[in-house]
Amino acid sequence: MNGEFVAYCVINALAVLAIAPLYMSLIKKVKAWTQGRQGPSPFQTYANLAKLFRKEVIYSPNSSRVTRVAPSITLAAILVAALFVPLAYVPAPVGGIGNIILFLYLFALARFFMALTGLDAGSPFGGMGSSREMSLAAVIEPVTIIVFAALAFVFASLNIFDMFVISAASAFPVTPTLILLAISLFIILIVETARIPIDNPETHLELTMIHEGMILELSGKNLALMELAAAVKFTVLSALLINLVLPFGLVTTFSVAGVLAALLLFLIKGAVLSGIVGIFESSMAKMRFFRLPSLFVMAFFFSTLTIIIEVFA
Amino acid sequence: MAPITSDHEHQLRGITGAVVPPDRLVCGPAGEFYLVVSREEFEKLAGILAVREYALISMFCAEDLVPTHTTSLLYVFEKRGGVLVLVTDADTPVPSLALRFPSASWFERECRDGFGNVFTGAPDTRRLLFHEAYPDGFHPLKKSFRNAPIVPKPGDGSGDEYPFRTVLGEGVYQVPVGPVHAGIIEPGHFRFSVIGETIFNLEIRMFYKHRGIEKLAEGKDPKDCVRVAEAVSGDESVANAAVFCMGVERITGIAVPDRAWYIRTILMEMERICSHLGDQAGMLTDVAFPLGASQFSVLREEVFRQNASLSGSRFLRGMIVPGGLARDISPETLASLETFLTEFRKRYRIGLRIVLSTASVVDRFTGTGVLKQSLLLPLNITGPVARASGSRADVRTDRPYGVYAGHAPSVHPLSDGDVLSRFTVRAAEIMDSIDLILRIIHTVPAGEVRTEKPVRDGYALTLVEAPRGQNLAFVRIRNGVVDRYKVRTASFCNWQAIEHAVLGNIIADFPLINKSLNLSYAGTDL
Repeated sequence: MNGEFVAYCVINALAVLAIAPLYMSLIKKVKAWTQGRQGPSPFQTYANLAKLFRKEVIYSPNSSRVTRVAPSITLAAILVAALFVPLAYVPAPVGGIGNIILFLYLFALARFFMALTGLDAGSPFGGMGSSREMSLAAVIEPVTIIVFAALAFVFASLNIFDMFVISAASAFPVTPTLILLAISLFIILIVETARIPIDNPETHLELTMIHEGMILELSGKNLALMELAAAVKFTVLSALLINLVLPFGLVTTFSVAGVLAALLLFLIKGAVLSGIVGIFESSMAKMRFFRLPSLFVMAFFFSTLTIIIEVFA
Repeated sequence: MAPITSDHEHQLRGITGAVVPPDRLVCGPAGEFYLVVSREEFEKLAGILAVREYALISMFCAEDLVPTHTTSLLYVFEKRGGVLVLVTDADTPVPSLALRFPSASWFERECRDGFGNVFTGAPDTRRLLFHEAYPDGFHPLKKSFRNAPIVPKPGDGSGDEYPFRTVLGEGVYQVPVGPVHAGIIEPGHFRFSVIGETIFNLEIRMFYKHRGIEKLAEGKDPKDCVRVAEAVSGDESVANAAVFCMGVERITGIAVPDRAWYIRTILMEMERICSHLGDQAGMLTDVAFPLGASQFSVLREEVFRQNASLSGSRFLRGMIVPGGLARDISPETLASLETFLTEFRKRYRIGLRIVLSTASVVDRFTGTGVLKQSLLLPLNITGPVARASGSRADVRTDRPYGVYAGHAPSVHPLSDGDVLSRFTVRAAEIMDSIDLILRIIHTVPAGEVRTEKPVRDGYALTLVEAPRGQNLAFVRIRNGVVDRYKVRTASFCNWQAIEHAVLGNIIADFPLINKSLNLSYAGTDL
């Protein structure tokens, strides 16, 4: 492992942690604007997380060790996955990092521990959230695999890091089919981060919750870790979408100024994507739970189309 | 403006004539009919009324009402505005009507808790108002009951756990929800039996915040008691104040000045607009469509401010008093209301267009929480909820009061009975209310707004169409003070609709169905 790659790991992990809460506030801000409200400050999520980290942690008497360790495991799994997705700086890959299957199952690991947390305290809403999350996972997982398979066809590689290396070499989408895949990736982003029309992150209605249901029993530091994990997940998936489809601005050689400029560019691109997510959320109501697979089918369709084009073109 | 009673009288004489001599049917001051019956006559008449499709709209106990009984039970039956009150003695056990009139079940449980009445053959003998910790023999509505600190039953109450209907079977599990919720909502316990996400059975339990309103009213001067009536339910303040004052006015024989009735009507319709807007905003919040919800919330806030400029109270409190209004509203204020409503109507239309052209919202609303028309009569479900399930009932047209006799609103029944119908019926009613106000605002006659007369003793039963449906008040004045005040808001009956409307729906749709029925906790738990 060379020094450049270590620098990449440090920069990427810190950058993703630093940027992630900003996007959460930005989505809220955009949604507030569409409703004619002023909305929270862009830094509100940072303040919320800081507040939660300082607060006392209360455990349900029914909860086991799972509740105590799951938030850290969840965040850790997502942070490891974050190393696979460069935000701004793409070094030469080292030691075969970037196995696409590992990337997907790091997310699955995080989801598994989140679902366990929901079940652990034995409250009906946590159980309901976990059961819904796992049902959705069972439907979305094959779709995600097809989307990544399509990516593998487009880039002719099963290594996610190699895809970025190829992508970074050109400013614009490597092939036009990537635009089709962008739609699939956007749907994956919405589903994986439990946003409208899948789940309503702002709801207080315990009976409709999916993601919020699972973390309903958490408090203090544990809740902060889970919320941070959700924010990081959003940033990682956004980066995947942005840097594969619109890679301009990615740097491949290390220089402080270059990396900073690239990070700033990513920040702007991510902010635009957050704005799009905010408008997308405002434009529709939450879907009925059993209608959700029809949304996933769209992602499936576009990915399959890409594969067909790539194979026969 | 006395209600037209001759048709009702003719009809009721026809029904009761078979059992009792016609001269025993007495017309009350508000055009309602009373019939004091023996146990045998009661059972026969109840059977006939059930066949004639009368609804049991309320039932309550009163002491020393008629000379022959110490305690009497009053059964209020209604059909298309005709009201018949059967008065039977409650000193001995009374046969339960719950199997003939399902709405009687909650009424009987309410009477049992409040007065200790005994009903024979009642299918449900659990407590309703007073939960497990209250001691046995605690019946606070009795005149003999003296206010004192309650000694709760010893222990943690687990021995007397409230038995919910149990549903057993493979894959059935119970989800208890409430009375403490994740958001700021009033307390109610919902016991779901679900198979996966699908609701197989729901049983509700209310009455966590009993305030003793009926007892509080007793011994008060009718003028002061209006404040109690207004406190029954915040967003039905005008309706409950009006139905109480109508009773007092009927008993005392006060003719309310026309100007007061016109202004009362404006206030009642403003209240309806406000309540319906709140429901619509809530329904949109529950399907996570804040863009639409915020439109209606903004409009509602503006109506609230308009209310404040009309009356000094955002909930229009303190305006209605027995005999008319506490104060007049100036022509300038009325003119500014007209300007506001004309503008409001345009903006409301735009909001509606956005919501009803959003496919995802319509998809969530359609076919969700269907309330069957066949349930309306047995459970006495009224208001926009009933009109969305095909009912044409509206107190304003069936039993007109005030200026509604000349300005009855058109009824727009829809037959689907789903959330979309309830949303649409409310939209139509908001439009109607705006039209009605704009129509009468020019013709508000000049003159006094209040007639004062010394209070007379007597009793009367009055009905109004509140935003949520039919509200009923029974007022009895004795020695110049209120001796018995019984109010039954539409929500008391409508709550039971939810147990039926959610069946077969998924549990995630429950909040939406609940919101679309707009049930008041405060209006139920007096």
